[in-house]
Amino acid sequence: MTITSLDLEQFITAIRNYSNYDLSEYSDKSLKRRLAKVLVDYKLELSGLITQMKNNQQIVEQVVKDITVNTTELFRDPLVWQHLRYVTLPKLQNQPTINIWHAGCSTGQEVYSMLMILNELDLLNRTKLYASDINTDVLQTAKKGQYKYRFNIAYLDNFDKVMKENPFNYEQFFDIPYSKYFEIDKEKDFIKMHPFLTEKPIFKKLDLVKDCNLFYVKFDIIICRNVIIYFNYDLQNKIFDLFHNNLYNNGYLWLGMHESILGPFAPKFDKIGQVYQKKEHVFPNLDIGKKNK
Amino acid sequence: MIYKAIMIGGSAGSFQVVTKILSALPKTLNMPVFLSLHRLKHVRSGFLEALSLKSNLPIIEPNDKEQIKPGRAYLAPANYHMYIELGNRIALSTEEAVNHSRPSIDLSFITAAQAYREKLIGIMLSGANSDGAYGMKKVNEHNGLTIVQDPNECQVKTMTEAAIKITNINHVFSTEQIINYLLKL
Repeated sequence: MTITSLDLEQFITAIRNYSNYDLSEYSDKSLKRRLAKVLVDYKLELSGLITQMKNNQQIVEQVVKDITVNTTELFRDPLVWQHLRYVTLPKLQNQPTINIWHAGCSTGQEVYSMLMILNELDLLNRTKLYASDINTDVLQTAKKGQYKYRFNIAYLDNFDKVMKENPFNYEQFFDIPYSKYFEIDKEKDFIKMHPFLTEKPIFKKLDLVKDCNLFYVKFDIIICRNVIIYFNYDLQNKIFDLFHNNLYNNGYLWLGMHESILGPFAPKFDKIGQVYQKKEHVFPNLDIGKKNK
Repeated sequence: MIYKAIMIGGSAGSFQVVTKILSALPKTLNMPVFLSLHRLKHVRSGFLEALSLKSNLPIIEPNDKEQIKPGRAYLAPANYHMYIELGNRIALSTEEAVNHSRPSIDLSFITAAQAYREKLIGIMLSGANSDGAYGMKKVNEHNGLTIVQDPNECQVKTMTEAAIKITNINHVFSTEQIINYLLKL
């Protein structure tokens, strides 16, 4: 099924009319693809879908859930997690509290990856971890911390790399068993995070497009990986504004491997490896008045 | 016809061919080259460097929303789909694998076909599954030019034969013919 630009426009308008969601600044190529997939899955034409959405609020909610992408992994990109473990987080070691926000956490595998590393660094107790997503279904899964074993088996290799090896010291090896953090039941096909991890994060539904920071704290680290790729350039800049406002000075913004700050916010961050660090606030020079004269 | 972009798809057995093509294309090429190649998803480094050794064009694993520039080769990053967006930018996606592949050659070709239409050259090389065949069909439907590596020359011919089967391909070429054709553009 091919979705034309006109189809997409009609769909976005319908979503806007029948809900509080605004998809107009989503990246159009993936949005078209996701819409095509939804129509196939629902066995509907676009006009039929729009009629259904008009008559039933729950359908709109479901469509938005199905439109958004929810792929995630334990320790996706192990090298970057190693960097976080051995370079970034140790810098925060002396702080009394550490606030972390996973924005667009999906089913939460990276939330648990983070918690495991924090535990290894003995920072778990003084960390407050907040996580949000637009989709309440994935948040339920994240809260539960239980995943299909066969979908996540490949990512145990990632665990081995990040948790057991130290790339800065090959002599070092930590023999950390999986059972320290999660239970694996191959027969029932699940991986289940231990309660000391699942009780830690505060999960909240949040739409990055229109909501502000609903946690009402500032952050030392904001993690938002492979989320903004679904937004267009303008919307990406609005999100960077939101993140910039809610980071402490010298706080870290961590994006996906192939996401970067390209626009006006680039000068406000330093890039260290894969991580952006918010520059200290520099008072603007006060020559503006002169220019206006 | 003035073409504006080249999209190359390949999988098993395509590495040498891509290397040959990239070593033949001149630095001054006035269009971008996109490479949507299957690769091991956990092997992140090495592939780019190996491809770069003999290439005259700088090879880039693009970031999301990166502006497309001529004279560069953009390699779909491991574990992402690579789309061509309107507004001359690249978009990446972590959506589920298509035909067990991420990057999916089909998706790269389809979006490039929509963006460049008749100004796209789609080239399909050796490979062991049928990813890309549908994408080539879309290039053809948008009046782009389709070139397939001669299956008899391919290390694995599943992919090229699949493309030939469902689309009226413009040229079935050996590696050398592909290079000569591109050099005459």
